[in-house]
Amino acid sequence: MKAVVQPTETVTRMRPKARWRKRIQELLTATPFLVPSLFLFVLFFFYPLGKTIYLSFYLTNAKGVAKHYVGGSQYGELFTSADFLNSLWTTVVFVFLTVVPGILLALLLALLVEKPLRGMAFFRTLIVSPVTVSVATASTIGLLLFNPSISILTHGLSFFGVQDIAWLTDPFWAMIAVSLVTIWLGVGFHTILLLGGLQAIPTELLESATIDGAGYGKRLRHVVLPLLSPTLFFVLVVSVIGAFQSFGQINILTQGGPSRSTHVLVYSIYRDAFFNFQFGSASAQAIVLFVILLLLTILQFTVVERKVHYQ
Amino acid sequence: MKKVLLSGLLALTLGATTVLAGCSNSEEATTNENGVIEITLWHAMGGGPGKGLDAIVQAFNDSHDKIKVNSVYQGSYDDEFNKYKTAEGSDTAPAIMQVYDIGTRFMIDSEATVPVQKFVDADKYDMSDFEPNILNYYKMDGQLYSLPFNSSNPILYFNKTAFQEAGLDPNKPPKTWAEVEEYAQKLTKKGADGKPERYGMSMAIYGWFFEQYMANQGGLYANNGNGRKERATEAVFNKTEGTKFLDWWKKGVDAGYMGNFGRKTADTQAAFSAGKTAMFIDSTAVLRGLVDGAKDKFEVGTAELPKTEGAAGGVIIGGGSMWIMKDQPDAKQKAAWEFIKFVAEPKTQATWHTATGYFPIRTKAYEVQELKDFDAKYPQFQTAVSQLHNTKLTEATSGAVIGVFPEARATVETAIEDVLLGKKTTQQSLDDASKKVTDAIGKYNQLYKK
Amino acid sequence: MSTPRRFPIRTSLHYLLLTVVSLIIAFPLLFAISTSFMTPSESLSSPPNLFPSHFNLNSYHDALAVAPLGKFLLNSLIVSLAIVAGQLFTSALSAYAFAFLRFPGRNLLFYLFLTTMMIPWEVTLIPNYFTIKELGWLSTYQGLAAPFLATAFGTFLLRQFYMQIPRDLYEAAMLDGCGHWRFFLTVVVPLSRPALGTLSVYAFIQAWNMYLWPLLITNKTSMRTVQVGISMLQNEEQLAWNLVMAGVVLVLLPTVIMLIVGQKQLVKGLLSGAVKG
Repeated sequence: MKAVVQPTETVTRMRPKARWRKRIQELLTATPFLVPSLFLFVLFFFYPLGKTIYLSFYLTNAKGVAKHYVGGSQYGELFTSADFLNSLWTTVVFVFLTVVPGILLALLLALLVEKPLRGMAFFRTLIVSPVTVSVATASTIGLLLFNPSISILTHGLSFFGVQDIAWLTDPFWAMIAVSLVTIWLGVGFHTILLLGGLQAIPTELLESATIDGAGYGKRLRHVVLPLLSPTLFFVLVVSVIGAFQSFGQINILTQGGPSRSTHVLVYSIYRDAFFNFQFGSASAQAIVLFVILLLLTILQFTVVERKVHYQ
Repeated sequence: MKKVLLSGLLALTLGATTVLAGCSNSEEATTNENGVIEITLWHAMGGGPGKGLDAIVQAFNDSHDKIKVNSVYQGSYDDEFNKYKTAEGSDTAPAIMQVYDIGTRFMIDSEATVPVQKFVDADKYDMSDFEPNILNYYKMDGQLYSLPFNSSNPILYFNKTAFQEAGLDPNKPPKTWAEVEEYAQKLTKKGADGKPERYGMSMAIYGWFFEQYMANQGGLYANNGNGRKERATEAVFNKTEGTKFLDWWKKGVDAGYMGNFGRKTADTQAAFSAGKTAMFIDSTAVLRGLVDGAKDKFEVGTAELPKTEGAAGGVIIGGGSMWIMKDQPDAKQKAAWEFIKFVAEPKTQATWHTATGYFPIRTKAYEVQELKDFDAKYPQFQTAVSQLHNTKLTEATSGAVIGVFPEARATVETAIEDVLLGKKTTQQSLDDASKKVTDAIGKYNQLYKK
Repeated sequence: MSTPRRFPIRTSLHYLLLTVVSLIIAFPLLFAISTSFMTPSESLSSPPNLFPSHFNLNSYHDALAVAPLGKFLLNSLIVSLAIVAGQLFTSALSAYAFAFLRFPGRNLLFYLFLTTMMIPWEVTLIPNYFTIKELGWLSTYQGLAAPFLATAFGTFLLRQFYMQIPRDLYEAAMLDGCGHWRFFLTVVVPLSRPALGTLSVYAFIQAWNMYLWPLLITNKTSMRTVQVGISMLQNEEQLAWNLVMAGVVLVLLPTVIMLIVGQKQLVKGLLSGAVKG
């Protein structure tokens, strides 16, 4: 055991053979630490990824057995299919509609509940309460709130002169309804994260800014937001991934309709796989989704993160 | 071996959960120590019909001490059917499946079921009083594949109180599309701000209604005699019958006397119950719920499906039937057949009819006193029955059999939305949809055609 | 009260804003509670009612009669706890290897781990379904939990935290002849409790909210999780909104109580490490 624990400098000074033995030993030590995760990753991530790529070149039967090799034709079909292009576009719109307003709302709420006023705990609990709600429950409540004939929302809005909104039967409003549910679902969690980021800002910094004569707006722009940027970045990454993977609210509220207006990519994959039983085509779509997310993640980490101010 | 190794390793990682898994498996025991055979029934009956079916299962279990049926609600017909496709061949698959009419082709092609004809023949089961129009739907090449259980067809529901209010005779419901139009305009009530408080007429965007109206006008949905003479290879619903129906629908929606409450039929039912639409079309199966729900608000009237000028009329028999699964041991298959026979008994059918609105699958049920009394009290329940008896059996009214019917139905629903929302013309929309369905049929046939 | 009351007007405006905003955010929940006390026809009337005419508990009784909500809650709890335990176990171990050990191929392997974060769940869904089916694990707890027992997120989060543990501590321990396992168990794990807490909360919320996976792999009523159960209830009782909302309220109760009781811990847990990731 002793050999393993020598300080690192000795390692470099060792003869090649000894160094090699030493590295093997480290590997042996590391193995039991890594095997549980690695085994699960191989079984539930890498093997399926390979299988999905494989399936995307085949026609499959309802049991998911690859039956006919069709080459890249399913990819070809995707990019000429109006439905698929519509799904891509819908996904982009949905991600944009949920991520940007969602983060802004959470930021405003976090600023609002950050002040240590009396009774704030009560308001905080109310404001972060959506964190307790799951996709299925939120969407079930959504079905009632957006109901075409007995919607309390529509009724309430009519007092403000807003005409009958066909929440789930009009393509535009259906997208808004699904986005609202998604934003609401995330707002609790995001507010908690941002609130934590705000509280981590050293008070001395804010105080000295105040002494320098900076008003609230100035403090916000020059002190708070830069210092909050790592948290904002984290929230951004989490909510982009979350938005891309939104499924439950769409399946429960609109089933992709009306007129495919909420037929996002993930829903399209589900629908092709477990409704139309075209696992091959669904797999091809899944691979496209993978590539998009990969590019997006790289983009986020190379471009956006540069603007993040780490302490 | 690989499987064992894999599960072993996984189990190790799972640690404590495996212990729990042990107890969850116990309820899967096939025959318990008393020699009682347990079988699972999957169904898609929620709400009132769900309670009705549970009562039937209860009655069966009480009267059969060697068989126990466990019924599992699996969501909508689509959900249940799709779940079955994926669970097929696993040990959690059921012994009896209640499948919707449009799943028939796939069930046959999956070769996962035993045609009930086998049990009918072995048992010399007397089916002379079964409704021929219903049996016909589930018969292919002279074989009966499944036994119908819950049969329904669409009817027109109307609010009698609203009729009186609008100066219409509640005993003379509209019979034609033109009359529906005329009535609906009179029944539409606009508020002070000009937006409709009550629509005259509504239809959920449900592909079934489209299929019904194709048949009602004598039009085919798929080629080769709706897929009954030979396997269908093409969808043909983009003919005049289809466009005429959608044009009529769109005209009403555009003019503001027809409401659009989306795809879910329950939402249109809710609109009717809440007084937001005075007429609507839906399955006879929801009749009981509607009558009960409107009890202290208004009187519910029913009428046969209004047709267009010159149409032959008639409906396709919709609903579900019971299938027996092949992967089950003989004893379980026999138990399943016992249950299915129980379900088909005149008395059970009579109770089922009164609890829901589905009509009996055999004429003997009409001799049951319970049913006679009930129908005298609620004459609305006879509409669907007379509509069934008035239907002339043709290729169109027999209904299409295609393997990708659920997908086809969903495609048509999107096409209807495209039309109602003004995205496409009726012809364009139906052309696109039928092309899509034809493609899907092609892929399906490539996999299943022998 | 620590805040100086320099701007009483501003403060009261702040309270006003807080009240309005909290009511809007909490409205869906409050309305669900209100609807659950209505009669079926009250919940289905036009114009809709905001409040029940009187306090009526029938919906709860009926909801429990239609769906075994208690069993659904138990299932969700078991599955979520198993997933939390699994993730803590696998992530704590693998993070240790990446933070403290210098073995060949370490960087490559770390990137490999990170790629799993970029593989969307939907991509692996179809083959995973068939794997679980092959194993005969449809409708079982292990089938519900297995694919989620390891996460790159957890590994990454904990590795970041481990790297903040002073290197001297590690070297001293090694010089003392204290093996890796002992160092891991007696020093690293106790020190990283906050990060482990964060991971637990995060994993629990994710697991509790799972919808698509349990929807696909549960075939028996008795194995459904809360999320599937509640949408089934809605499917089954489409016109009885009072009953459906009673189900929603019952299902929300455990998490709401958790929030009220443990708000501080939850917030602290989420903040301690997540942000630094």
